[in-house]
Amino acid sequence: MILIVEDDRGWEDYYRRILKFYEPKIYHDGVAAIKAMDEEVPDLVILDILLTGPTGFAVLNEMRSYPELAKVPVLIVTSITMKTDLAKQYGVVEILSKSEMTPQELIEAVQKALK
Amino acid sequence: MESEVFSANSSAIIVAHELKGPLSLSRQLALSLDFEDSLDGAREIGRQIAATSERALRQVEDLTRIARLEDAMFEMEPVNPRIVCDEVVTELWRLFRFNRRELMIDYRNKRKLVVANRQLLHSVVYNFCLNAMNYGGEDLPSLVSIYEKRDKIRIDVRDYGPTVPTKVWREIKSGFVKKPVDIAMRPGSSGLGLYIAAKFANYMNSDFGLVRHRDGTSFYIDLPVSGQLSLI
Repeated sequence: MILIVEDDRGWEDYYRRILKFYEPKIYHDGVAAIKAMDEEVPDLVILDILLTGPTGFAVLNEMRSYPELAKVPVLIVTSITMKTDLAKQYGVVEILSKSEMTPQELIEAVQKALK
Repeated sequence: MESEVFSANSSAIIVAHELKGPLSLSRQLALSLDFEDSLDGAREIGRQIAATSERALRQVEDLTRIARLEDAMFEMEPVNPRIVCDEVVTELWRLFRFNRRELMIDYRNKRKLVVANRQLLHSVVYNFCLNAMNYGGEDLPSLVSIYEKRDKIRIDVRDYGPTVPTKVWREIKSGFVKKPVDIAMRPGSSGLGLYIAAKFANYMNSDFGLVRHRDGTSFYIDLPVSGQLSLI
């Protein structure tokens, strides 16, 4: 199961269209996402950073504090510029820029993360 | 890690980031057309692209208007606030729908006109609504209201966002908003829309402020009543 944390509803339809094969579950805030992960451990988390409520970093920290979620691959898709090496320390498999990526790159990153 | 990312918080970056959001989404939506099988689906994507890019375009226009405010090119005139709010709601309903939000109206003042610049008032209400769009709930529509408040006409837009901090509230009440970052007080908002609204409200010598509720905020503008009555 792919779990997406994205508070901008404009992106929701986009993700559903591009990743329709995976039927992703989309949550609009970090608290709801963590709660959902507690019930079912996802195979991959796609995470935005600037969220309403707890930021993506807070979600990431929270995930890494639970043994069952600690190794879940995380793909960050964000509009802010991030330092790759720092994110890698948090077990982030890849960082994609909302302004630069293509749908094909998103699909490839998801396929790679799920391997 | 967090502090490094958020350290570069100048106004220009705030504004650029606010505009980058809808532009990035427009681009992604355009690219996603290749993944859409049906004509109806493609048309819907086209409409979403239009609504999203219009939003960015309007904020760019507003920022250029702010730069021209000193030239006093915006004359005050009798304006029907109902017509202005109707225009804004019509302009934004599709964007609200794409964002799974609702925008409703409650006009208690039917006939009185206000003294304002129509273009600037449109922008104020538009930016109030855009700000509210970030904070609606599934069953909590943003509400545009027009009603009499003492000897003024108040237009307010109610949202269901996080509480506005006291420091920010005082800043807005004082009318001393210098740049978007000053009022970037709520997660998911850069404060750009409120910055634009504050600038235009100040230009029109109207009162701009907010009312804090337990579960959200109403941003308002109070405008002087015009001696004329609406014929509509």
